Amino acid sequence: MSKIIRTAAKEPFKPEPDDDLIICRCEEVTKGEIRRAVHGGFRTTNEVKRWLRCGMGLCQGQTCQRNFQNIIAKEAGISVKDLGMISGRSPARPVMIDVFANEVIDAEKDPEGK
Amino acid sequence: MIGAGPAGLSAAVEAAEAGMRVAVFDENAGPGGQLFKQIHKFFGSRDQNAMIRGFQIGRNLLARAEAAGVEVFLNAPVMGIYKNHEVLVKIEDESVHFKGDNIIIAAGAAEVMVPFCGWDLPGVMGAGAAQTLMNRHGVLPGRKVLLVGSGNVGLIVGLQLLQAGCELVAVLDAAPRVGGYGVHAAKIARTGVPFLTSTTILEAKGDGKVEKAVIRKVDSRFQVIPGTERELDVDTILMAVGLSPMTQLASCAGCDVEYSDQTGRLSCITVTDEFCETTVAGIYCCGDFRMETAEGASSAILQGQIAASHIAEQAGYITGEECGARIAKCQETLRQMSGGMFSVKNKGRVDPTETDEGYPISRSLLERGYIAEEELQNYPAASYEAEGVHPVIECVQNIPCNPCRDMCARKCILVNGDITNIPLVDQTKKCVGCGLCVANCPGQSIFLIDKTSIPDYAAVSIPYEFLPLPEEGQKGTGLDRSGAPVCDALVMSVKTSPAMDKTAVLTMKVPLKYADSVRFFKAEGGAE
Repeated sequence: MSKIIRTAAKEPFKPEPDDDLIICRCEEVTKGEIRRAVHGGFRTTNEVKRWLRCGMGLCQGQTCQRNFQNIIAKEAGISVKDLGMISGRSPARPVMIDVFANEVIDAEKDPEGK
Repeated sequence: MIGAGPAGLSAAVEAAEAGMRVAVFDENAGPGGQLFKQIHKFFGSRDQNAMIRGFQIGRNLLARAEAAGVEVFLNAPVMGIYKNHEVLVKIEDESVHFKGDNIIIAAGAAEVMVPFCGWDLPGVMGAGAAQTLMNRHGVLPGRKVLLVGSGNVGLIVGLQLLQAGCELVAVLDAAPRVGGYGVHAAKIARTGVPFLTSTTILEAKGDGKVEKAVIRKVDSRFQVIPGTERELDVDTILMAVGLSPMTQLASCAGCDVEYSDQTGRLSCITVTDEFCETTVAGIYCCGDFRMETAEGASSAILQGQIAASHIAEQAGYITGEECGARIAKCQETLRQMSGGMFSVKNKGRVDPTETDEGYPISRSLLERGYIAEEELQNYPAASYEAEGVHPVIECVQNIPCNPCRDMCARKCILVNGDITNIPLVDQTKKCVGCGLCVANCPGQSIFLIDKTSIPDYAAVSIPYEFLPLPEEGQKGTGLDRSGAPVCDALVMSVKTSPAMDKTAVLTMKVPLKYADSVRFFKAEGGAE
């Protein structure tokens, strides 16, 4: 992604009959919330994610990313290609915090580690 | 190696056999990725695992990996990839750091879901998820199933649903044609399942679970046609509308990930070169995770070999010459397998009119999932007459597959030139009716017909993969290609043998005039 297209919404937010449709199942974010976020000025995938938590649940956006991107793109009148992708971050899988903190450095490479 | 599926395991084998030290991490409890739930026989050529059931391909790969000394860590999800090829893996209650000179990410893909009203009701799931439930856990996903999407994944799962004893109410596709191989569709259609093309799901209804599905027609531009809504009584809706690579780890590692339409539709892919190397040196990705070709596990295996050969050469374990030869061989096979009307480059080509050989395309196969009887005359191997028993081959699309040719000891069947060419019958060779072609055709599109041995009757032999197996002397109904009842049928024999690998060849006696119509057997009492 090279640029963020940040133009004002052409029209004010208009409710739609399926605004209560759940798009992100893990975090229970609805289509209406995503549309409102776009009208509120959010444009990129990561902006909307941070504002609403869609894509931050168990599946880490694997199921919903494309679906909420489509809504952003349609609402903002731009291409999905221009929205950027959810940044991949560790931990890429759900993990208990005590396991995540229980680090083991490869003993062969770093005998003094841990 | 991240992921112990077909790509990861084949890469591991290739690298380990070259002398490299390999560790494979997989988050699942068992290795093999999706291979161990693939119970169908694979397409392709003999040296590319054709005719072998997916789980057996997995077992073979795993045995080779073990023999080559590959270390496989299971229940070991990779949580992150950092600078300098450092990988963080959860192993039991520890977060363990590993470093590799090279990393291959073969993390696979996840099923695409399309939101519609009620899609979050229990009973809506991915077709692949249903396949896991059935084939790995022995759990029926539901009783009355609607399948949305008619690509190969959907069609393969559809047949397996029937084999598991589910009722498949219909197969929908928003496109005006069946997306996957016609031979896969025909297996389902001949049991009586309707294909509804240009149709999409509107809503799942139910109190706390799926009880009904509302569907409706769309036009050629996928616009809804008002007033075409229909309700179907179903308890399960399976979505088979595509796969999307799991790119998080590549993104985490700093590899370029982008939306691309190189696969014919916009999907998120990791950018790689011809050796599967990403934009970060020493990090490779292959398989569904890379998603350049649509041939699933077989492509994944080849890509794994390409990536591993390249790594082995870079690290000095094999010579440049050896590496070049291996990669060229894999690429040639990939090229062959990605030919034909279902190739990535031809995907989305809305209206092919003829096959590579110049035969007219079967419109009925594309629109309804079975070949119309009047279309058969267009295909020489499907419509010739002969004395005694002879194979009739209803394989009429250019798909990469040729085991029928290799199975026939009498050399009755020819697949000339490219592997995607349509099989032909050499009528100068005499068929002995062994049935190996019938049982081993992964598309189950070969039948043995004998119109001359019994007066006024014909013997029709079909591939049969349902339990309980009918018995000799059992009465039932002969169904046509659409699953419509045609006539009474009497089972003359049910042949099984190790060489048929659990596909029975059922021979039934039907009145002579129905010899070209009957293609399935339904036992009396309704069992399929």
